[in-house]
Amino acid sequence: MTHFTRRDLFKISAGGVAVASGMVAMPSILRAATYPSRPINVIVPFATGGYNDRLSRAFMPYLEQELGQPLVIVNKPGAGTQLGNSYALNQPADGYSILCTSAAPYIPLTVLLQNAPYKVEDFTMINLPSRDYTLAATSSGGPVKTFAEVIEKLKKDPSSLSIGVQPASADYANMVLAFQAAGIDPSKLRIVTYDGGGPARNATAGAQVDVGFVGGEGFLPLKSKIRPLAIFAAEKVDWFPDAPLIGATLKTDFVEGSQRGWAVSTKLTKEQPEIYKILVAAVEKASKNPKAIETLKLQELATTWYGPEASNKAYLDNAAKMAKYVDLLK
Amino acid sequence: MIDFSAFNDALGIMFTSAGSWGWIVPGLIVGLVFSAIPGISITMAMAIVLPMSLYMDFFSAIVFLTSVYTGAGFGGSVPAILMNIPGSPSSFATTFDGYAMSQKGEHNEALGYALFASTLCGIAGYVLLLLVIEPLADIVLRIGPVEMFAVAIWGMMLLGSLGSAYISRGLLAAALGILLGTVGMNTAGFTRGTLGLPVLLDGIAPIPAMIGLLAASQLLSLASRDYIIEAEGSREVSLRKILKGCWGTMKYPGVLLRGSIIGIIIGAVPGVGSSIGNLIAYAETKRTAKDSATFGKGNPKGVIAAESAVASGEGGSMATMLALGIPGGGATAILIAAFMMHNIVPGPSFIETQKPMVYAIILNNIVQAIVLLAVGIGFIYVASNIMKVRTRYVLPAILVIATLGTFAVTGEAAGPITLFVFALLGYALNRYQYPVSAVVVGILLGRMLETEFLRSYQLSGGNPLYILERPGAMAIFAVMFASLAMTAWGKRKQNRAEAAEALAMEKLRDEAAAHAAHTTPSKG
Repeated sequence: MTHFTRRDLFKISAGGVAVASGMVAMPSILRAATYPSRPINVIVPFATGGYNDRLSRAFMPYLEQELGQPLVIVNKPGAGTQLGNSYALNQPADGYSILCTSAAPYIPLTVLLQNAPYKVEDFTMINLPSRDYTLAATSSGGPVKTFAEVIEKLKKDPSSLSIGVQPASADYANMVLAFQAAGIDPSKLRIVTYDGGGPARNATAGAQVDVGFVGGEGFLPLKSKIRPLAIFAAEKVDWFPDAPLIGATLKTDFVEGSQRGWAVSTKLTKEQPEIYKILVAAVEKASKNPKAIETLKLQELATTWYGPEASNKAYLDNAAKMAKYVDLLK
Repeated sequence: MIDFSAFNDALGIMFTSAGSWGWIVPGLIVGLVFSAIPGISITMAMAIVLPMSLYMDFFSAIVFLTSVYTGAGFGGSVPAILMNIPGSPSSFATTFDGYAMSQKGEHNEALGYALFASTLCGIAGYVLLLLVIEPLADIVLRIGPVEMFAVAIWGMMLLGSLGSAYISRGLLAAALGILLGTVGMNTAGFTRGTLGLPVLLDGIAPIPAMIGLLAASQLLSLASRDYIIEAEGSREVSLRKILKGCWGTMKYPGVLLRGSIIGIIIGAVPGVGSSIGNLIAYAETKRTAKDSATFGKGNPKGVIAAESAVASGEGGSMATMLALGIPGGGATAILIAAFMMHNIVPGPSFIETQKPMVYAIILNNIVQAIVLLAVGIGFIYVASNIMKVRTRYVLPAILVIATLGTFAVTGEAAGPITLFVFALLGYALNRYQYPVSAVVVGILLGRMLETEFLRSYQLSGGNPLYILERPGAMAIFAVMFASLAMTAWGKRKQNRAEAAEALAMEKLRDEAAAHAAHTTPSKG
């Protein structure tokens, strides 16, 4: 038996690719002057039809217009974005591969829980327009009316209500943090686990579980079937204004939910800063294009321009908080 | 019930957008061809054409995609019947009797039965959908983990119908399949059996695994022959026989009805998909049939039961999608994406505000099912010619296509590697007479069994009396046990009758012998 694991081999081969691409690398200024001269791949680490896939396809014509080259969408689903992320990092850092992904919480989660062969800092954000927050909700016909009522009932008897949630997610961390803050032992709760936001939402809307903790944005088509109890956001959320903020009922720390949008490998920003600048400028212009804003709004997709600085800060803050609460996720 | 003014408006939409009807035939052909390729599922076929539909207007895009869906529902049964290799998991149960029929030289009839069952039940599914779309959607949301666990158990009962020389090996094979089906991260976030490979975190890809298990053993057994069917006279392709099969389907209204009901309900449940309805419909039909001994040996009822559940499941799945915006399976998830890409969000508000559009989509699907009859006959006529090609040309071609197909599903070498590993496993299982089909059933149902059992446990806090709060689950279990008991009772009665008959025959023979003995001497 050799002591090589598959991951070691992977690292070695990834290193090999890096060396090879370094050898063929042209001076960066020369590259930037001609960039982009051929179609650009947009790597989406999800299957066709998910939020990121729809976002990339809807935004594509406007970004193409700014870059002057066609975009090609490459779906690489699997292992909670780990396969797509690894694939993206294995591409040469030449600006011809960009990511459209749910950076948070998936990149930190794959690093913290799946030992993914990359670091959170290996990715740099261009813009993360879509921000989602954990929503605690109940079926619209259910007996519970407010989050305070949930806490009161669970304090009396922790098994009186069933809780639906996706394990190892920001929603799970928020659920545990909230109940700990309220003085309820989470290990005594009746927690039902779902392997995705969709099934957890269906279970909430269909009253399979009494309270569901799950990303709020996905609830929008089912809005009439649920009653929002608390949203884990600091300020009023413009796409769900009638959801009460968690701060109104309970003083608790929380993790922000999904942050979705455009990213590149950090290697690109270091080796080809000019190309990174071109990409940032193109995404900014496309995001501010009134036609793009109108079209994407109709499809319930976000175009808000936060810019690379704010987006990176939000992403790294989320990753740091995830790392802080990693024990809650396991 | 039907809202008639909306229904009239729907007819208006249908006829004013007649241009979009042109997409029906291309859509059906795309669906038929892709799903007939082993390794490409219905979902995959739709994912391939989804980006194309972006460039059409809304109604045309939906017509095109739903046509692919309709065609793909049937296409998988062609290789299932002709070669014992299901094109996709939803046509797995079609192989049991379809291939046996084709070995008897009745492939034309088998394809006819499959096509007509598919068409009729596709229409039935959509007609029912037209009537009950809203109440059905509400019921579907109420189906919880306990009910789903009951359904999964029901699916496992198919194992009893598979038949194997040794019961112990059958059970072992099923247990192996369930274990393989639970590889990866489970619903509670625990990771099992991934060998540290990130690709296995989502579990073993069921399609390459299934093709590997079934195709390997099948191709090896075919390799020893010159043609897929040995008798030269049986290799003909006859339109008359295909039509005879189509017509013959009408003789089994009970089978069609049962298949449709099972298909619609299971298709409508979110997250189950079409690959389970056909297994349950087949098992139920076999168990309740008087001639159950001939199932698996080429009984047309087996083909009809499996295909009717697949086709009607499509209507059920569409109901959940339109009424709730929730995908019933992978294919409807793609359809939802297509809706959203055209700025339409399916769900409760869509049904309230755009009822004519909903009806128009349903009506168009009924039209598609009728067109499928014509296109399907042409397709099976062409596809059946594979019978006339020597296996030495067919087999390598199938192997290459299947490998490419599994590559297409994941876009990585993981698909072909899974295929290869499971081909070896399939060969070994066959060599030692373990039933490969039991492993496949385990792989298809293992994850659902575990997930729903775990959720039931979490929801009840470990209290088994929780089932008393779930009348739906109790009803499913009650129907299941009643059906089992009735079969057992029927079998006993049948055995007794047979025993009595045998006794009577023996008596008769004895008497005849005695008579003969009595008369012989006088002759001599």
